[in-house]
Formats: sequence, structure tokens, C-alpha cells
Amino acid sequence: MYRQGDVLIAPLAESAVPDTAFDATSEPRDRRGRLVLALGEVTGHAHAVVGPGRLIRETDAFGPMLLHVPEGARVVHEEHAAISLPKGWYRVIRQREYVPGSVRIVAD
Amino acid sequence: MTEQTSWRAVAAATGPGDRARAEAGVRLAYQRAGLREPGRIVWARSPLEAVRLLSGGPAEDAEALPPTGPSVRDAVRTRPVAAERARLHTRLGPTGWSDHWRTAGADLWETTRPLVDRVRTGIVEALAPDDRKAETRIRLLLLDAVLGQHDAAWLSALDTASGLDGLTEVARTAGWWWPYENVAIITERPTQLHRDEAGRLDRGDGPALAYSDGFALHAWRGLPVPGEFLDSLDTLTPERIRNEENAELRRVMLEYYGYDRYLEKSGARPVHRDETGVLWRIELPGDEDAVMVEVVNSTPEPDGTSRTYWLRVPPTTRTAREGVAWTFGLSAEEYDPLRQT
Repeated sequence: MYRQGDVLIAPLAESAVPDTAFDATSEPRDRRGRLVLALGEVTGHAHAVVGPGRLIRETDAFGPMLLHVPEGARVVHEEHAAISLPKGWYRVIRQREYVPGSVRIVAD
Repeated sequence: MTEQTSWRAVAAATGPGDRARAEAGVRLAYQRAGLREPGRIVWARSPLEAVRLLSGGPAEDAEALPPTGPSVRDAVRTRPVAAERARLHTRLGPTGWSDHWRTAGADLWETTRPLVDRVRTGIVEALAPDDRKAETRIRLLLLDAVLGQHDAAWLSALDTASGLDGLTEVARTAGWWWPYENVAIITERPTQLHRDEAGRLDRGDGPALAYSDGFALHAWRGLPVPGEFLDSLDTLTPERIRNEENAELRRVMLEYYGYDRYLEKSGARPVHRDETGVLWRIELPGDEDAVMVEVVNSTPEPDGTSRTYWLRVPPTTRTAREGVAWTFGLSAEEYDPLRQT
């Protein structure tokens, strides 16, 4: 399990990956060829994966998302140290905050 | 600057644009639609002023608006955009188009749409408070608007080299605009726009969005708040925070005042401490307790200090670990990061 700022990347056993994920459409890469896990709107800073792999959006805009990196990968961000991910499947989770009556996503 | 970054900048641009270029863009958009150019182009300092003008108010130069004729928004904006979208859709196929839209425009639209909605709501509130009939009339006028810079998400996804060059030129140089048969009204961009990292309107010491005619919207992390409320934040006391009956406003007060300061002044005690952080509880009479985890950012700031931040967690939380785990949707046992940056 890895954490970069407000994004948590938790390993997922291949047997626990939903069947639908294997042939689901992958999220498109950004124009720099990266898989963007979360984007800071104002700074444009992004938690992004560099290297081969696929990112699959499971539900709504704020995830969670599934990440598959068959050869391992690096997670980079402009303000956080990079993290090396061993090969495999991961669940990508955005940090949230409790608001009475609702829940909102954290912006770091 | 990548093309996408540049469209992001267009959507968020403030300050005077280029009137000559914007007017040329409007004329070009009419031409591309096969229409006669508008006989007159009128400037307004904000969308509010434009709607006021269209409702019969005086212009910047104190002249009333000449008869506008019918709206030509369909011909100028809707049809060319729909045609270009259809062309791309055919070329890329449904999946290809959807992938393309997600890469090119979806995120930007996600943050621009609430802004557009807030401006519309602000105009309705300013011009037709508690008047259903007037409200309908104003909402109809708002439907005639082309969003200018706020069309950036759509324009970024389409091939603007085609017939959309007029629309693009206006988007890069001005705010919302209203095309009518005889008259076009163009509005200036805002003078100020303040947003948080998630793109929500956000400012504690003034309007989050402001135009040069004084039209302004106040918001805290996206939550619309009255301007007077923000003015009063400078003189907050823990007692006033406790006495605020509106839960949302009280939350803004707490955030503005600072949880740390509030915790200190109100004599709150840490409830639990472990390697993930510290758990705090504040009792709020007549309301559920505010329970917060205090977390230290793992990556130091450029000056070497580590930023501490507070995240509110459900009132049932008993340990700091449980609180931090909850922010990621996990149980305390499941949460176990190997590496944090």
C-alpha cells in the first residue's frame, strides 16, 4: 500500500480484480503519455503513472479506479517524491473528508 | 504550454481581453454562419450588465440598446459546434469520441460548469429576487448567451481550425457574448477569479469571482456564502462559531478560523494519538461533535517544514488510525502504507 499526498494506491490480488476490468476501456493517457490518477485543477499538478499500464475507472469521476502495471511503474507528482510500484493490480483511492450530511474530496 | 493547458488558461483568464480581436471574432462567427454581420457591437462589463441591458437598462455609454432582432445563437454557436462534434464522432466512432472527450475536455468542463451555473444563479438573484415571472424572462435571456472563454472545454475537444475560428477568437479574448440579428453584446472577462486546488470557487477575504462593474460572487471551497459573512470572518471568536446556527456557515467559520486555533482557544483535548496522527474532538452544542484527524504531510515543503492539516472524519471515529483510514474508505486494520510521500 502506497500513499502519495491525497492518493492511496492499494495492491489488489489478481483474483480480486473484477472480471469486467479485464476487457474494460482504459482511461486515455494525457498529452504527455501519462496515466493521471488525480489532477490539481489550479496548479495543473498531477499524481501520474509513468510507464506501461492501464487505468480503469470503476464508477464516478472521483473513483475508485483500478490500475494495472504489468511491468511495474513510477508514480510522480510535482510536489511529492516519486513512488516505485511493483508490477501488479492496484486500487487507486482519493482521500475524502467527512462533511455532515455528505462527503467531499480533499484537494491537496 | 500544451494545448490543453492553454485551454485551461483560457477558461480561467481574468482581466481585460482584446476588444478589437473579440469583435473581429464575433464578425467572423456571423460570417461562418452565413449571416450578415451585426450592425452594432455593444460591450458590457459583466454578464449581469449584459442581461440588464437586454432587459432595457442603459449601456456603458448610457445609450439604450437598439432593437436587437431575434437571437442567432443557434446559427452562430449550436449548429457549427454540433456539426464539428458529429464529424469527429463519425471519424472516431462512439468509443473513440468518448475517449477523446475524456482526454480533451471532460475535466475542464467538470470545473467550468459549476462556475457557469453560479454566474447564472448570481444574475437571477441580482435581477429577480422572489419574482418567478422575471426569473423566467432572465433565464431565457441567459440561454441566448454564448459562453466565450467558458466554452474552452468544448473548443479544446473540437477542431477549431474548421468553421469554429470565430468562436475560438472570442473565447481567447472575451467573456460571455450574446449574438442577435442586429446587435451583438460582448462582455469583459472577470477581473478576479480565485479557486481552490479542486477548481471550486474559494476565497476568504473578498469575492471569489468579480467583474469590473461590481458584479461579484463569494464562495468558500465552492460553497456560496454572502459577502457580508466573509467580511465578518476577520473578527471571529470561538464563541461566535459555537453560536452560529447554520451548520454549513459554521463549518466555513471553523475552517477560516483554523481548526488548530479553535482547538487551542476552546480548550479541546486530543482524544487519541498514534503513528498516523492525532485525533481531536470538539463538542458543538446542538450539533454532532466535530471529530478531526491531524495529519502531517510526509513530503516537506520547500522551506523544510512539514505542513500539518486537519481532516474532519465521522463522529464515531475512536482512533487517529481509524480516522485516516476512513478518509481513504478503509478500516483501521486495512490501512497500512508501506511508503508515503
